Amino acid sequence: MGPLFPNGIITGEWDFVIALLLGIIFGFVLEASGFSSSRNITGVFYGYNFVVIRVFFTAVIVAMVGMLYFDYFGWLDLSKIFILPTFLSPMILGGVIMGVGFIMGGFCPGTSFTAIAIGKLDGLVFAIGLFLGIFVFSLSFPLFENFFVSGNMGNVTLTDVTGISAAWFAMAFTVVALAAFWGTSIIEKKIRKNMTEHTF
Amino acid sequence: MNRNYIYLTILMFILAVGTLVIKKANEPKQIEPQQLLFELIQPTRYVSTDQVAKMIIKNDPSLEIIDVRSAMEFNRFSLPRSVNVPLDSLLNNTSSYLGIAGTKVVFVSDNDIAADQAWVITKRLGVKSTYVMKGGLNQWMETIIDPKQPDPTEPYTAFETYAFRQGAQLYFTGSKAEAMESSKIKVEVQRKKKSGGASGGC
Repeated sequence: MGPLFPNGIITGEWDFVIALLLGIIFGFVLEASGFSSSRNITGVFYGYNFVVIRVFFTAVIVAMVGMLYFDYFGWLDLSKIFILPTFLSPMILGGVIMGVGFIMGGFCPGTSFTAIAIGKLDGLVFAIGLFLGIFVFSLSFPLFENFFVSGNMGNVTLTDVTGISAAWFAMAFTVVALAAFWGTSIIEKKIRKNMTEHTF
Repeated sequence: MNRNYIYLTILMFILAVGTLVIKKANEPKQIEPQQLLFELIQPTRYVSTDQVAKMIIKNDPSLEIIDVRSAMEFNRFSLPRSVNVPLDSLLNNTSSYLGIAGTKVVFVSDNDIAADQAWVITKRLGVKSTYVMKGGLNQWMETIIDPKQPDPTEPYTAFETYAFRQGAQLYFTGSKAEAMESSKIKVEVQRKKKSGGASGGC
């Protein structure tokens, strides 16, 4: 059946409707996970709050393992999904810049908007800076253009590069994520004496 | 620690291990359904028995006839130069017979139903230049082995085809062509009687 767009089950006109719905759900989950607080987000860098790692690892392993099962049941054709092309060195540099911005600003782009939504001024300033940055980057793009498009590896996956099957990656990643989940909980418990444990 | 976290961790771990176990059946690569439907409604996949006969007689090296009937039927009667690949074992032998560049694969069966099935299967697998002999071996019997003389009112091309089929019949069966009836009539040479002596005159 899936993916829905390439198979023509949903046509392109629905792009914005789906983007809006997904945006609302994504924003809700970010806020519900506590990502609208810059203390929660930067806590991972200072070693007292690992909610970012846990939420993102949970999202990644659920999506990873889930998609493999979807493929197995025939609901999603993994060979047809869009894979973002890899530009190795620009992506590494971009990741570093993003990380630095993360620590300094206390938000990533998405979470800054959830912070605005609950009325945080620092989130608003962050978002203004975000658009200023985009504007400056766009104007100075010719300076970076050669670097920006360098090291194009095409639409590759880890399986293409290493030859190890996706299932093994999902398995290994799940083990790492679960270990991180429990490990960070223990660290948090030791560091934060006044931690409130979340239940569900 | 909350007990639910432990359950969830175990569940997630089991699911992740499960991905190693699940193996997709090794499905062969297939063409898009739209493409298949498009090809399916084209009549160009059919070749007539006359065309096949012509290619056999001319010993066309690009022709490859695949007989999809059972081995028993194949042994009883088959077209010259045809190979027997029964429909149910078609997928086992595809690599050796199909997809050879420059060959035209013609599927043959009693009628064209089984041959058409073979065509669809191979087309789905993306094999190029495959054809079906229209009407199959039944049609072959009617047209090549036992051709009917066309009505006198039929167009000239029908007679041309008939002439070819007669030649083909000769080629494939080795029987003598029926002699035309007109050749049986004895032509008697009428000689002028010699006139004996003068008979009057000036």
